Amino acid sequence: MTERVDLEEPQVQGYQLPQAPGGGPVVQEPLWRIRLRLFRKALGRNWRLFARNKVGLIGLGIILAFALMAIIHPFLMDRVWDPGIYDPVQGYDAPRTELLVVETKDDVEDPTSQIDHATARLKTTPFVKVGDTVSIPSQPAPPSSKHWLGTDPLGRDILSQLMYSTRAAFALGAIAAIVTVFIATTVGSIAAFFGGWIDSFLMRFADLVLLVPLIPVLIVVASLFTLTLPLLGILIGLLSGFGGTAIVLKSQALSVSVKPFIDAARVAGGSNAHIIFRHIIPNVLPLSFLYMMFTVTEAIALEATLSFLGLMNVQMSWGIMIYVAHSQGYLLSGTSYWWLLFPAGLAVTLLAAAFFLAGRAMDEVVNPRLRRR
Amino acid sequence: MAKFISKRLVQMVILFAIFLTILFFLLEAQPGDLTQQYIGNPDIPPEEKARLAARLGLDQPLWGRYIQYMRNFFTGNLGNSLSQYPTPVSKLILTALPRTIVLFLSATLLAYYLGFVTGKVLAWKRGKATEYMLTLGGVGLYTVFYPWFALLMIWLFGFTLAEWIGFRIFPINKFIDVNDWTGAPYSTNEVFMWMIGIASVSLLVAGLITLYARRRLEFAPAIRVRNWSFLVAVIFPFVFFKLSPMEPYAWDILHHTMLPVITLTLVAFAGIMLLTRSSMLETLREDYILTARAKGLSEKVVRDRHAARNALLPVVTSLVLALAFVIGGGIITETVFSWPGIGLLLFQAVILEDIPLAMGTLSIIAVLALVGHLIADILYVYLDPRIRYQ
Amino acid sequence: MQTAESPVSTRPSRSANPPLLEVDDLTMEYETEKGSVSAVQDVSFTVRSGEALGLVGESGCGKTSVAMALLRLQADNAHFRHGEVRLNGEDLLALSEDEMRTHRWSDISMVFQGAMNAWNPVQRVGDQVKEAMDLHIKPRLTAADTRERMEEFFRLVGVDPKMLDRYPHEFSGGMRQRAIIAMALSCDPQLIIADEPTTALDVIVQDQILEQLKRIQHELGMAMIYISHDIAVIAEVTDTIGVMYAGRIVELGSTREVFQRPKHPYAYLLLNSAPSITGPRRKLAPLKGEPPNLLNPPTGCRFHPRCPFATDKCVTDSPPLEDVGGGHLVECWHWDQVPEITEMGVA
Repeated sequence: MTERVDLEEPQVQGYQLPQAPGGGPVVQEPLWRIRLRLFRKALGRNWRLFARNKVGLIGLGIILAFALMAIIHPFLMDRVWDPGIYDPVQGYDAPRTELLVVETKDDVEDPTSQIDHATARLKTTPFVKVGDTVSIPSQPAPPSSKHWLGTDPLGRDILSQLMYSTRAAFALGAIAAIVTVFIATTVGSIAAFFGGWIDSFLMRFADLVLLVPLIPVLIVVASLFTLTLPLLGILIGLLSGFGGTAIVLKSQALSVSVKPFIDAARVAGGSNAHIIFRHIIPNVLPLSFLYMMFTVTEAIALEATLSFLGLMNVQMSWGIMIYVAHSQGYLLSGTSYWWLLFPAGLAVTLLAAAFFLAGRAMDEVVNPRLRRR
Repeated sequence: MAKFISKRLVQMVILFAIFLTILFFLLEAQPGDLTQQYIGNPDIPPEEKARLAARLGLDQPLWGRYIQYMRNFFTGNLGNSLSQYPTPVSKLILTALPRTIVLFLSATLLAYYLGFVTGKVLAWKRGKATEYMLTLGGVGLYTVFYPWFALLMIWLFGFTLAEWIGFRIFPINKFIDVNDWTGAPYSTNEVFMWMIGIASVSLLVAGLITLYARRRLEFAPAIRVRNWSFLVAVIFPFVFFKLSPMEPYAWDILHHTMLPVITLTLVAFAGIMLLTRSSMLETLREDYILTARAKGLSEKVVRDRHAARNALLPVVTSLVLALAFVIGGGIITETVFSWPGIGLLLFQAVILEDIPLAMGTLSIIAVLALVGHLIADILYVYLDPRIRYQ
Repeated sequence: MQTAESPVSTRPSRSANPPLLEVDDLTMEYETEKGSVSAVQDVSFTVRSGEALGLVGESGCGKTSVAMALLRLQADNAHFRHGEVRLNGEDLLALSEDEMRTHRWSDISMVFQGAMNAWNPVQRVGDQVKEAMDLHIKPRLTAADTRERMEEFFRLVGVDPKMLDRYPHEFSGGMRQRAIIAMALSCDPQLIIADEPTTALDVIVQDQILEQLKRIQHELGMAMIYISHDIAVIAEVTDTIGVMYAGRIVELGSTREVFQRPKHPYAYLLLNSAPSITGPRRKLAPLKGEPPNLLNPPTGCRFHPRCPFATDKCVTDSPPLEDVGGGHLVECWHWDQVPEITEMGVA
């Protein structure tokens, strides 16, 4: 049974702060340690929230798997693989495949184009009879124990290419994401903080950027200027940062800037720059990081698309892999050359999806409104 | 409402002008000038070089060149194509534009209609298994690498299924099968424009009938009229072409258009379905849904007239973003399927370094984006009475 | 604002009227991830035609859950364990969903809490009212008659009939609330449930709406269930009052009786916690603690952790509902120890 609370007496015993020699209280714990503890606690809590969503964990898992691939590859190239064969750009191998002859014709031009790798049969070739087994160097070669994912039309190992391109994808994603977040956070915070015509102008500009479809513009830009990976990353970052992301971050900055603690900071004498950089931006950053994830998704898909169209100045990426196969006609001749299509496309899809899923899960952490009750 | 539209139109024109300006500076940033393109090309006579220099105002200072450039665009003087000399750029664009519009429009409308209906029904039924599967499927379609997906569709319908069934359900690419058209009395463009014409008139009539019905009749009968009139409007063109002498040609074009449209629709559909579903889920938490149920209305009426109608608003807002996707996706679709629309034209222009064609095409695409944006804005104002009286 | 000591409504007794709604041992639980929440337990009361019953209690005590249950608008994870809700003798809980729909709005209608958001923002107000009328009024009225009727009801609640053609966002908060009441009346229900209809409004509008409700109820002879946490408001409007705590009705009786001679410690403390401007100065008896977590409700009497009269028996045994005189029901082992309202403070 609870004791009756007597309201006349003070409830809290006096707390004596420890006195330093010469007067004045002494804080028991250094500030940085307190901050670290709070940070770790918040991290733990956020992780639990994030982990509640299975899909987010799947996304994270996929990202880690790809990262692993990117890290292992140089090691493999150094120690395990023969660079002459396995180098993703310069390697060459034309392993011999055993093929069964099923049909002959006299006036055949290019015997290799009649190979059905799926059934290891050769439709036509001169000089042999039906029923013979012929050993032909194949380029591209189907998957085998030597080349787990086969080789591409130029004789290069596909698995090696796949792993090597992961690096490019992450790098591109990182550049695009950082540039986007940097620009969008600044633009959004400035627009929200100053309001008035600055806000109008920036938002109208963002509308314009949003309006113009990205792909045709990038196609034309790619033809006018040679697009390297970093350049593309910066470009995507610029377009994304001034566009939709800026609008979203601005409304977030706006909701932060009307909170009482901003007024308090102003009253305490904080300058505009101080308020923007020390108060508004740190509170907008969680949402910014969220949008970083979505920017990476977009960037990976965009680079792959441009490479697929042959417009990028990049040595090797997943898009380039499909481009090489497509431009030489292997992909529209039938489904025989499946290893030229599936690994690369799957890689792009999976990594882009992984960032998207992780982003959605992060959304629930950052945006409490979305949390399942 | 008219004031709103005219205000937006003016804004659109200004935005287009800004876009063109940026494009101009992009061009200027290039080393060398356009006429140098001609030096290596023997097909292009030297008079053209002089004409081109005059058209671009190359002898003038920057400001003069800019004025000339803007004037060129707004008078439709887009120059001649370099890769298909001497065809003027505008002619090429005008041939390709209706096709792309058909592609975009059908994909967008189908994706929105299907996506909305599916998302609406899905949000209503909260079964664990179906929900999980459809969300996963939806996310999968939404994030798939689009060129890869297009190729997969070609493989599926053009090769794999063909092996099983014995024939191809859809052709794998291009606009027509050239062999079928030898000795045809019509050009592809003629047949295509007829198809568009008949279909547009048919749908327009259905739309007018629906509007009239909404004015005069009660809600439920008006919906019935709408459904029937659109059903007839969709069937009518098929009947018309079945009976006309153009039948095999029209069918060939239609057949080749199907797979590109389906591919583009599928991917756009996923995003809209996911958005509708989450929008519905949020709307269902609103108080007026409870009121509607308390009034004794049937579940279907509550879902459609109250929940879905309100859930529609964020989805229409997303139309603006979806546009950018549909346009970009449409371009990729055209390149993968070699389907001769504006997208393929742009791609070819870029590959062949045909700058006038590339610029012209890009500008038209920008105009398409702007017009689409305008339509989306008007639609939103029409649907949300809270915005109207600002 | 009237306090607990001012005269309660002097309304003619309706105890002779036939019972309209009989709620018998209603028990409802919510299934959550953390377990079963016992939101409504063994709730019983009767509302006669023309009578106004008030349900009062803290937030979370189950009043709204009861209201939802009456219209069978309970949440998806709410389950009826047992009990009956009889409208004119017919058990509503046993009906199919289709049958229940015919009763909604035409026999029982409801004015929700925060009803300002109860309007569909994209539809005109008149169309929304018409929707209900077209559904329930048989034979179907002509468009002109429907319009006339709607205008009448709008005038009754004090809203300009021309607003019927407007959208909800063009109404002020108070107007929206009044329009909701008009819509609730539009199908001539026998019973209206008003769940905190004035909570979100300022005092002047609150007063106006209360007056209107009283007048309407009197003129149209409808029964009403008025739900609120504001005892003063309940006192003005109701004939009978039920005090709810932790999902149970702990005291039920005529408003006058319960206000002047509360027999349940909770009711007593509730009435005593408001200071009086006119009455004698006295020490306030605050209600300590918090309402219990209904996932794991207290054993025995649910109020015992906060009750100044609690004994060991209260912890182990749940008190039965006793009649302490003239239909005044109390659920307490020690109701006889609860002092008269005129005494000061707590012993």
